[in-house]
Formats: sequence, structure tokens, C-alpha cells
Amino acid sequence: MEQMRKKYLSLLGPLLILLTTSHVQAYSIFGDEVENFLKEKVTFGGFIENTTGLAVGPGDRRHFNTANHFDMNRFTILPELNVKFRDDVKLFISWRFVKEPRYNMEARSRRRTVAPAPVEPLNNRFYDEDSFKPWELVWDIVPTDRLSLRLGRQFISWGESDGVRLLDVINPQDLTFSPPAAPNLFSLDETRIPLWGLKALYTVPPGSNTILEFFAMPGYDEAKKRVDDIVGSNDTADGLVKYGRWSSHPETRMPFGRMFTNGLPGRSTIIPSTFRVLPNAGDDWRLGGRILHTIGQLNFGLAYIYTYNPQASDMVFKLIGTSPGPGPTTIARLMLVNDRTSIYGAHFNYPVEVLKATLRGEVAFYPSKPYNISKFPGNAFRAGPDPKYPNGTVEKDTLRYVIGVDRSFFIPALHPDDPFRSFNFSFQLFQNIILDHEDGIHPFSTAEKIKKVSSILTLRVGTGYLGDTVLPDIFLGYDPDGYWTANPAVSYVPPWNEKIKLSLIGAIYGGHNKFKSFGFFDEKDSIFLKMRYQF
Amino acid sequence: MKLILKGHGSIHSRVAMYTLSLCLLLLLSFPLGTEAAEVDLKPGDTIGPQNWEKAKGMVGENFLNRIKAGHTIQIKSSKIYKPLKEYVDATEKYSAKVRLGPDGELLNYVAGQPFPNIDLKGPQVGQKLAWNFFWRWLGDDYKTGGAVKGGKIIRSAIEKDGSERRADLVSYYILPRTRYTLDPKPAIPGYEHIDYMQLRIDSYPRDAAGTTTLEIRYDDPKKADDLYIYIPSIRRIRRASTTQRCQTLAPSEFALDDINSFSGKITDFNYNFLGEKKVLANLSQEHLPFHRKQGDYLPLDEKWEVVDTYVLEITPKDPNYCYPKKVLHLNKMTFDTHWTLIWDKKGDYWKEQFGMFTPVKLTDGREAWSVGDVTIVNVQNGRSTIVTSTRAYNQGYPVSMFSLATLQRIMRGGSVE
Repeated sequence: MEQMRKKYLSLLGPLLILLTTSHVQAYSIFGDEVENFLKEKVTFGGFIENTTGLAVGPGDRRHFNTANHFDMNRFTILPELNVKFRDDVKLFISWRFVKEPRYNMEARSRRRTVAPAPVEPLNNRFYDEDSFKPWELVWDIVPTDRLSLRLGRQFISWGESDGVRLLDVINPQDLTFSPPAAPNLFSLDETRIPLWGLKALYTVPPGSNTILEFFAMPGYDEAKKRVDDIVGSNDTADGLVKYGRWSSHPETRMPFGRMFTNGLPGRSTIIPSTFRVLPNAGDDWRLGGRILHTIGQLNFGLAYIYTYNPQASDMVFKLIGTSPGPGPTTIARLMLVNDRTSIYGAHFNYPVEVLKATLRGEVAFYPSKPYNISKFPGNAFRAGPDPKYPNGTVEKDTLRYVIGVDRSFFIPALHPDDPFRSFNFSFQLFQNIILDHEDGIHPFSTAEKIKKVSSILTLRVGTGYLGDTVLPDIFLGYDPDGYWTANPAVSYVPPWNEKIKLSLIGAIYGGHNKFKSFGFFDEKDSIFLKMRYQF
Repeated sequence: MKLILKGHGSIHSRVAMYTLSLCLLLLLSFPLGTEAAEVDLKPGDTIGPQNWEKAKGMVGENFLNRIKAGHTIQIKSSKIYKPLKEYVDATEKYSAKVRLGPDGELLNYVAGQPFPNIDLKGPQVGQKLAWNFFWRWLGDDYKTGGAVKGGKIIRSAIEKDGSERRADLVSYYILPRTRYTLDPKPAIPGYEHIDYMQLRIDSYPRDAAGTTTLEIRYDDPKKADDLYIYIPSIRRIRRASTTQRCQTLAPSEFALDDINSFSGKITDFNYNFLGEKKVLANLSQEHLPFHRKQGDYLPLDEKWEVVDTYVLEITPKDPNYCYPKKVLHLNKMTFDTHWTLIWDKKGDYWKEQFGMFTPVKLTDGREAWSVGDVTIVNVQNGRSTIVTSTRAYNQGYPVSMFSLATLQRIMRGGSVE
């Protein structure tokens, strides 16, 4: 297997060279017809990128104690190809190849932080992507002016929010390699996982701008291990670590067994034996439809999505059973559940001329959404099992919404060379409302209660200096329960080469504890240097 | 006021002198030129530092300074375009009923030139010229960049130090309520309330590729434009406010309202007719894009011709608008703009824009004209932008192409055609 991978990688370079120079070589190899086809119908692009991350938080210095604190060294090559066979038939293919060289010292450090002993850390190649399976492969077919079909491995993104996913949950998100809530480091386009499927768009005549959209994704993709990595768990049942580098800290997740059971008589020490059931990403049907319409200045959509619970923080542990363990212990078998979910959604946008701003919003209703529930306080612990709910879960209708406003401002004093280069402000309020709320609902991994209404405020500000060669941008998130995140970035595009982009990015988290919201990542602060060359 | 004198050594030592000269020019040349003066220029003449006065008042002051500093231009005979028959027919058929409303809006307009016979001493001349400019012949649809080799708009952003960045894009434009050639005529049913729709797709560099905007201009003077943007990095459409139409579209020096010289909503501005004027322009650009020195915006071997124009001053009704005054020089026949001059809020000369034109063939073989290269120079920060954007007219684009569905199916580097 290793040999095969090396062979693939050694072929990659020559293949890329062939592709990038195909226009020149086509004449001699394939003749005029092919050359003309390549010139007129084929476009080639993509990028090469390196992202290097340095852990600066005290937690990672403690738990991840390599000498240099590098927590990311990610090389990505993403070639893209467009082929226009006919006006109504087009093909787009891209591949993504990723290599993350890791140091032995780092591997040893990871091994030391893993517990219990039989569990192995993520192997050093976990973040590598060297498959020739296309990252995206879409056939765009336009049978009529009003109907378009997209068939293949693709992304579908709905909604209006920025940095928060409410309806944008059709494709799962890979948070194994990317820190959470850091849109300035990896965009959604880089962290979503494409799925095979069909999307159809139909524009209703005449000029009403009504669009019907439907998608079906049958789940031909293999399940990707731990796509919802940020809250992590050791699946002790299979002995494999499911913690990625952005998982919450060990001390926040160890004693959770007592939240589900007091143990068998005389065996009050609980050993959680956790496992997850597939499907957990991309391996079974997802269906959905929406209608988009415009009335006056109001543009809105109504949507339904039949999918899997797509976000890490939405998962729950379900107590399946208990059995005697060694000595005075009880083994609690906990299954990490990724349930079927129906989402009823709506979104809108509306320009408010008086304010020179655009208002946008998005709402998602989850009927019978599962939560973990425990009794607070527990028997000698902060939380213990709730006798009303023997498997530790409860289902509650849940409403989520986000409302945002975007506005451009001129601040001439801060832009002396171009007073009308705008500052773009984007503010959002996100709320999660648990209807028929009960005391004791908590995240699956910690004993920190979730309130009936929880909120997050976000602010994003960006602008450009010196002819947009220097591009500062900051994304801020604040949870009124006392947690926050900051994701500042400044990019440099040299004025002499539009293909190069260098970015310095921070991902910083804080909170009054490490058991909820952005506080999970309180000690995961990192800075990154990202260098991209586009071709 | 800072001057741009590329290729000339000592800028600072001449600032004071030129500032004074420019103030005088400003007062004496463009704004106050009310009569088409006789000019002493004929084909074959050369204008350079030795006789720059011959171009005084006929080009933008920054361009004139470049001539003073050493740039030379040659004069050629004028290219005359014939107005297209179907446009003339529509003008004859519909113009008699066209009126101006109390807020300067256009009433009873169907197609063609709204005001073919303007009394230049009559009332609301400026407003009428503005509408003639807005409804100049632009075909039934067009692809900007469609007649450029490669089929794309080429945009070069040039820094003060001469470094350059390139971007490629295409722009599709449809005028659904003024159709002259393509069926249905004169309007596409269901779209009579829309003046135009524009779909703009970035294609290079890669990170920008796929960024697509859909802009819709409504005939209702009180209804703001719609602007939707598809952002590839989130694969989603976002609504943008169009009320900040004067913000810089960095890294270019254009604002949204500077596209096509002036693309503001006509009823949002006041217009003052300043007079007739002969200017130097180029209606038959020889090279697309024009030849130039790397890092400089000056066209090197293009010739210029004397063209009759109307001079139109535009001032915003909104006091918070980015700039208080813009002056267009409108070709008397085509109503396209040759020179566009912009002043900032302090009254300082800010931006200077000149557009060259080139003959293009329509699909039926007839000759029409299109903008070729457009250059905008920010004389204050020294940056400039050149856009090569020759149009391919009457391509027969389906109106459904200008919809949110299209925005959702753009792939990076792909096309919608």
C-alpha cells in the first residue's frame, strides 16, 4: 500500500507538468483537432499551497509538547479542469492532494497524551489525501434554458449565514484538519466534503425569478472517519483515537461516564466504552428541495432537508448498556449517535436602502432533536444519570436562527490613498432555542448545561489597502455565556503578481471554562502562515 | 494636487508650477467650454511637448501633462459610424411621445433615442442628454470582452511604481425592454420593467474565478438596483447593497458607477449641459489592447482624431455621494463617452477616464462600434486601470441566463455560454 502511494505521488508531478503544458504539446502529439479543442474548450487552473501553524496557547504547549510547537504543516495541490463539450454540456473536475509531513517527536508527543493505553493516536498520515478520486467532478447539463442539472461529486450550499452553519449542512464539514470558527484560515469551500449526487434547478417562467431546486445524494462516498472531530472521543471499543488536533482537551472529556450511569452495585467506577455507528458522513441518502422567490426587494427561500445530523456539537451519546468490568468497575457502553434529521428551513435577504445595508436571515427547525441529559448535581459528581431518561438522551424540538446585517462604510481617515475603498462590516446574531426545555440538557462530552436559549454574536470586518495588496480581515465570535473567539488575518498580494497570496492568520479562543462553546478550544490558540500560488 | 508624470524625473520640483497651470486649465478649458471652437488640427499632425497647447482643452489635464512631459500623439482622419437603421427607425417611431417627468424620469419611452432633436438652449437639456446617453444604441444584448482575442475582458491594475496585476472576466448584458434586432421586439414579455441586466463573471486569477455578480436595473426611478454576488469560497449567493455605488472596486480605480463611464441611476443625479466641444478621441483603435510600455497606461502607437461632443456635468442628488462632480464628453452621434473627468469633495481633480472605440461586425455582417480600451487614472494616488472590453453584440442570450439559477451553476474557470 505504501509503495502504491509512493508510485502515485511520483506520477503526480509529471502528470501536472503534462496538464499544464498540454496546449504546447498537443500539436505535436495529437494534431490540430485536439489542439484546437484544448485551446477553445479546456481551461486549467488551481493552486499550490502551504499552511504552517504554530501552537501558541498554553494548553498545546502542555499537551502537545514538541520542541517547535508546529501543529500544522499542510501542503495542498488542487488542480482544476473545465471542459466545455457543448454549450449545454460541461465538465468540471478537480483533485485535491494533501501531504502533512509530521515529525517523529510530534508523534511521540501525541502518543503520550493518549489514554487509555490500548488506544493509539492518530497515525502520522491521517491528514494526507493522495487518492486520485476527483475532489469534485460535476457534469453540468442544461437541457432547456430553464432547467439545469448538475450530476457528480459536488457541493451544495444553502442559506445566508457567515461562519455559522444552519442550512449549509447538506455537505458534511471536515473539521479534522481545520480549527473551528476560523473562516479566515480555511473557507467553507475547503472544509466541506463533496458528495456524489444530483442537483436540479428550474427557473419558473416568465420573469418572476422563481427557482425550484432539488437534490438527491445517494451516499456513494465512503464514510470519512471522524468528520466531526472538534469535540472528539476515544472510541475505546475499537481502540482507535478519534481526537484530532483541534479536539477539546483531555481533562474536559475523561469522566463523562458518570453522567450516564452510577454503575452496577458495588462497581461505582465507570469505564466508558464508546463507539459510533455508521453512517456518519456521506454514506446514505440525503434529499432536499427548496423554492426561491423574489417579492419586491425581498428575496427568500423555503427549504426542506432530509439528512444526517451534520454538526459535531449536535451529536449525542446514547447509553446502550452496562456490564461488569475489571475490579470494582462498570463498563458503560456508549454509542455516539448521528441520527437522521429532518430540517425545515427558510432564508431571506432584503436591502434596506435607508440604512444602505442588507438584512439577511436564516431559520432552521429541527423536530425532535436529540440531546444528552443528566441530573445536576450528580451523586458526588457535577452531573449524574437522570432516572427519567435511562439512556441519557431526550428529544426536543429545536429552533435555530441567524439574523445578519451587512454594510459598507467609508472611513476616509483610515484610507488616505483611497477614501472610498470601503470597510465591509457584517454582524450576525445566532440563537439556538430548545422548545419545551428541561434542566440538565448538556453537550455530549461535558457536564455543562445548555440553556433554553443560547446565543452567539459574530462580527466580521474587512477592507483593502494599497490597491488591495494588503487585505486585513477579522472574524470575531462572542457567546454571552462568557466565551469568545477571534480569527484575524492579513493577506498580502504583491502588486507585481496576482497569482501569489501570503496570509498571516490567528485562531484564538477564550472563555471562563473549557467545557462549552468556544471555551472547548481555550488552549488551542495558533497562528498560521499560508502561502498560495495560483496557476 | 499630485501629478502623474511618468518617465519624467523631477516631479516634486514642478508641482507648484503645474498646480497653478492646472487650476487655470480647469477654469478655462473643460468646464467652461460652451462652444465648439475651431481647432487647428488636421490628419498627420503630431502633438508633443513642443506644441502641447494644440491639445489644450481637448484631452484630460493629466493626459495633457503627459504630452507636456514628452508623450507625442498623432492625429488621423475621423472615423464616421452610421447609426443603425433599426435604432433610427425606433427613434422615429417612438420619440415623439417621450417626455420628462417632474423628477427627471422618462415617460412614455419605448425604444430608440429618447430626445433626437434637443434644443440646446431649451429647458432640461442636461437631463435629456443624460437619457440619450443611457439609451444609446448598445444592441439587444452583448458580451463585453466577446470581441477581444480570448473572449474575455482583460483588466490591468497599474501601481504608481509601475507594477501590474492582471485579471480576466466576462460580462453579459441584456436590454430586455429595448429590442431592435432580436425577437421578441420591442420587449421581452415579463421583463418590460427592467432596463438592463448584467452578469459579470471573474475568471482569472484562480481565487477570484467564479465570482459572479448579477445586477438588475429597474425602470422604476424609485426602485434601487438589485445586486447579487455568488462567492465561490462559500458557494453561496449573497445580496449586496447597491446604495454604495461609488465605492472603489479595488484593485481597479473604477467604482460601480464608473462602469461604462457612468452607470448611476439617471434619476439619482442632476445634469447640467456645459456646451459643445471638440475633443481628441479614438474611434478606430488599431490594437486591442493598445500597445503601451509595461507599467504605464499611455497608448503608444494609437492615433487620435477630432470628435464633436456634448459636455455634460453630473452632480449627485445625495449629498453623501462619494464625489460631487463628474463631467462626460458625449459623442454627438453615438452618445458614447470619450473623456470622463471626476473631482473629489475638496474640489481637487481626482480621476480621469478615456475610452477608445473600435469597429465591430454584427452577426449580420454590418458594421457597428464598440468600446475598446478604457483607461482610468487616479491622479491623486497614482494608480491606473486599463480595461480591454470590446463587445460582441446581439448574441441572442436567453433572458433566463440572467437569473439566480445561473449564479449557482458557475464553476471556477467555467463559462455560462
